[in-house]
Amino acid sequence: MTVIVAVAVLVGVLALATLLGLLLRAKTGRARTTTAPGDAGTVADLAPPTAFGTRATLVQFSTPTCARCPATARHLNSVAARHDGVTRLEIDLAEHPGLAGRFNVLQTPTVLLVDASRTVRTRFGGPPRPPELAAALATVLTAGTAGTTGTADTTGTQESR
Amino acid sequence: MTTTNDTDRGIDPRSPRFGAAITSVLLAVTIVLTLIPGTWLAGIVLLAVIVVLFAVGGIAGIRRHPYGALFRRVVRPRLAPPAELEAPEPPTFAQQVGLFVTAVALLLALLGVPYAAPIGAAVALVAAFLNAVFDVCIGCLLYVWLVRAGVFRPRRGVA
Repeated sequence: MTVIVAVAVLVGVLALATLLGLLLRAKTGRARTTTAPGDAGTVADLAPPTAFGTRATLVQFSTPTCARCPATARHLNSVAARHDGVTRLEIDLAEHPGLAGRFNVLQTPTVLLVDASRTVRTRFGGPPRPPELAAALATVLTAGTAGTTGTADTTGTQESR
Repeated sequence: MTTTNDTDRGIDPRSPRFGAAITSVLLAVTIVLTLIPGTWLAGIVLLAVIVVLFAVGGIAGIRRHPYGALFRRVVRPRLAPPAELEAPEPPTFAQQVGLFVTAVALLLALLGVPYAAPIGAAVALVAAFLNAVFDVCIGCLLYVWLVRAGVFRPRRGVA
């Protein structure tokens, strides 16, 4: 193989890595509304009832090799501290490997925003972006106060704000 | 996994990225050298050096890595203090992943498997490049994939 071809291969590898990096950067920490019902929809069996917030819970999946998880824990704790009835619940996937498949976790931290009925409402792959987390939490909290079922429609959410 | 006993367990998060940048350059050179027949042996020697460096970081721990010493001596004095320190486990895990990939590639190359060295180096380069340039945390991705693949049995978190 000539030098030119070898260098071209290298450039190709670097281009691929750059594309991958841009894709990861664009997607990480974004809020994704979950609609999937069934097993993946509830987290009630992950911890005793007292571990959950009365209005919302931030469930954080972590691993021992996750460099971002401690900072995310601090972020979520500060968010929880600013809202009554909101708590953070951290789950180490090294201790509970089955949960990674059940909740389709592809990276850590992955954060599930859970409402009062312990149903997953929003998920974040990677450290949640603060504005998107704040908006998602506000939606869950206002829906919780406006509706009786905890699944108030969006019009109700808008009116109460 | 790592035997750490001193009180200051945290590392400057910029140190592993600095190391990943050097590793990226070495891996890039390895790819080019092992693709050209005339320089194949030089490329294999370089790959072996990279394997040894990954072994130091992955087995002795990231804080014993020579790039870390280089960072502390040359780079860190020129930078502002880090905003916060990070745990050594994630970059140590990344070193172990690098060790596995490059060691397998080196072994296969020495056994005569064609293109084993450049392909293995390319896989490691993508990871090191993502780490260095985009601050992608390998331990945040790969560890979960390995858990889901059933590679790890349930175990206690690293204390």
